[in-house]
Amino acid sequence: MLNRALTAATLVASLALACAAPLATAQSQTPIRIGIITDRVGPAKPYAEPVTLGAVFAAREINAKGGVLGRPIELQIEDDQGRPDISATMARKLVDAGAVMIVSLSLSTATQQAQTVSLETKTPHFTPSNSGDTLTTQIANPWFWQSGPLGSAQVATLLSYARARNLKRVALITETSALGQMTARSFREALQRNQIEIVAEEVVPGGATTAEPQMQKIRAANPEALFMAGVVTPENVLMLRAYRQLGLKMPILASYNMSVPVYSSVAKGLLDGIAFVDAFDPARPEAKRFSEAFRKDSGTEPYNLHGYGYDGIYLVADAIRRAGSTDKDKIREAMQATRGFVGVMGAQGSTYGFADGRRTGFDTNGMVVRVYEQDQQGRVVHTGSR
Amino acid sequence: MQDLIELLISATAGGCIYALFALSYLVVLRPTGVINFAVGDWGTVAAFGGFLALSEAALPWPIGMAFVIIAAFGLGWLTERIAVRPLVERGAPVLAPILALLGMLVIFREAVSVAFGPDPRPIPQPFGYGRIEFGLLAASYQSIFIIGITASVFVGAWYFFERTLAGRSFEAVALDRRAAALMGINLRRVTSFAFGAGASIAALAALLLTPNTSAHYLMGIPLAIQGFTALVIGGVGRTEGALVGGIILALAEQLTMRYVPIAPGLVQGVPLLLLIIFLLVRPTGLLAARGASA
Repeated sequence: MLNRALTAATLVASLALACAAPLATAQSQTPIRIGIITDRVGPAKPYAEPVTLGAVFAAREINAKGGVLGRPIELQIEDDQGRPDISATMARKLVDAGAVMIVSLSLSTATQQAQTVSLETKTPHFTPSNSGDTLTTQIANPWFWQSGPLGSAQVATLLSYARARNLKRVALITETSALGQMTARSFREALQRNQIEIVAEEVVPGGATTAEPQMQKIRAANPEALFMAGVVTPENVLMLRAYRQLGLKMPILASYNMSVPVYSSVAKGLLDGIAFVDAFDPARPEAKRFSEAFRKDSGTEPYNLHGYGYDGIYLVADAIRRAGSTDKDKIREAMQATRGFVGVMGAQGSTYGFADGRRTGFDTNGMVVRVYEQDQQGRVVHTGSR
Repeated sequence: MQDLIELLISATAGGCIYALFALSYLVVLRPTGVINFAVGDWGTVAAFGGFLALSEAALPWPIGMAFVIIAAFGLGWLTERIAVRPLVERGAPVLAPILALLGMLVIFREAVSVAFGPDPRPIPQPFGYGRIEFGLLAASYQSIFIIGITASVFVGAWYFFERTLAGRSFEAVALDRRAAALMGINLRRVTSFAFGAGASIAALAALLLTPNTSAHYLMGIPLAIQGFTALVIGGVGRTEGALVGGIILALAEQLTMRYVPIAPGLVQGVPLLLLIIFLLVRPTGLLAARGASA
């Protein structure tokens, strides 16, 4: 159903491009092509699909306002199936098709591999949704940026929230996906930096039928809190079920994955009291305006993942506008010069920017902590990592 | 001690799920010689059927379960007609239907993904989240439900294969298809029934599992792997081998996770290590067919 919605949205976006306001010259009517690499059939599909819908909506909105540099933008969407090898092939295809920027919305590992192409072809490359800390550290690629909230920012925000508890002994649990492992590593490093002992560290394998052995070990270790770094919903549900089943009581501090609204239905009765980190504050004025516009346009309620894609396309459009041309070198310089960009994501007052040569753009104090109440995502109870 | 007993019951319940998938393989494999890796995705389709019947339509569990299992029989029958029979009738090598069924696996998975989207879907617990605690005994209602239903299915399967004429015809086809045909056994009917029954068993396994995990379009492949591993451990010669293999596999997984002091990431390798050991040491599985030597 979402696939159909995505196809429909893409068609509508194309129509909107075709019907864009008459422009002065033939040259000015040539669309600016932005390449999107998403995952439509692989493991990242549950996340990539709403992010892509948000990106398509942003492109439509920008074109309705006259486009960028007087030209409409055109999204060329390619599917990498969440596979790094195909992601690199798709990046090359987009470069050959004349994309002035590649936007990766797939798995972090796939985005990493696609960077080999953006580096080689000197094509600006950007991910608004990947949160792996290593994307900008493993390859020295001055053509690549990310604006998703990093795993390190997530755990810093959770620790800031839990400071009053003065935690000394905690447990850490994750699952076996690449991002789940990366997030757990960020969590582990931050906990160790803060001299908090990890008394039990457990992993629930993909496709498991229970998480009871892992939760029994955690119960035996008697931690003061449980950090959940998993990002795959079925395995996270198993963890929560075992937690309740075994009568565990320590507080749960969960990664941003718990901010996806699907938990309210698949983990009903298991959620109350869980504190989770989020990059979306529904009370933020920009977020409110976005939610209303998206709802009016599509008839569905957006959530944080839509916001990543939406902000991503606006960030790219802003860089092209400031570059004043579609020259890749100029777009690279403009992208790196981004400061104080206000999007819909992040805590109130937070902005995106790549100051001091950094290529990670999410405000480190821009995350919030929310708590589940009656199986619904509750209000913001904490902001920032200070 | 309560921890251990609780874990043994939980592992037995997990083993029952593996055992049902192993039985699904076995029911198809014995009369046809075809290893059907699509069993996991039969389960996926059934899980989403369960979502429609039990969550959306809110049918009572017995009615919803019966509805899904009967529909799954039709799916299995259709799978055989589309992907297997045309190849067998054209004299294709035995590998051809196995590959065709791998193709069906992808079709099932993507059909579910297109129809329901990528998000997991909830299936209600038949008896809620409660648990029994009696002395040292502690177990969830769902674990006990899974063990009870699986025991009934295996008793029924044993009775069918060992005590009924129809079941014996399966055995005859497994021993020698040509001789069985000459004795008047309808090979087409046996094959169709095998696929239908295999899909129904996979559907039942999925319905028992998904109240714990939710229905998800990528759930099939891990279940197919675990079911196949259980089958290899237990052996393909006897029905009860699937049950023994499933429970041994789950016990090995969960007891290793709980009590063996190795890195959490390495625990996943234990079932595969077990599979390799059984293939090397006892390729016929733990329970050899009657009259066969290991």
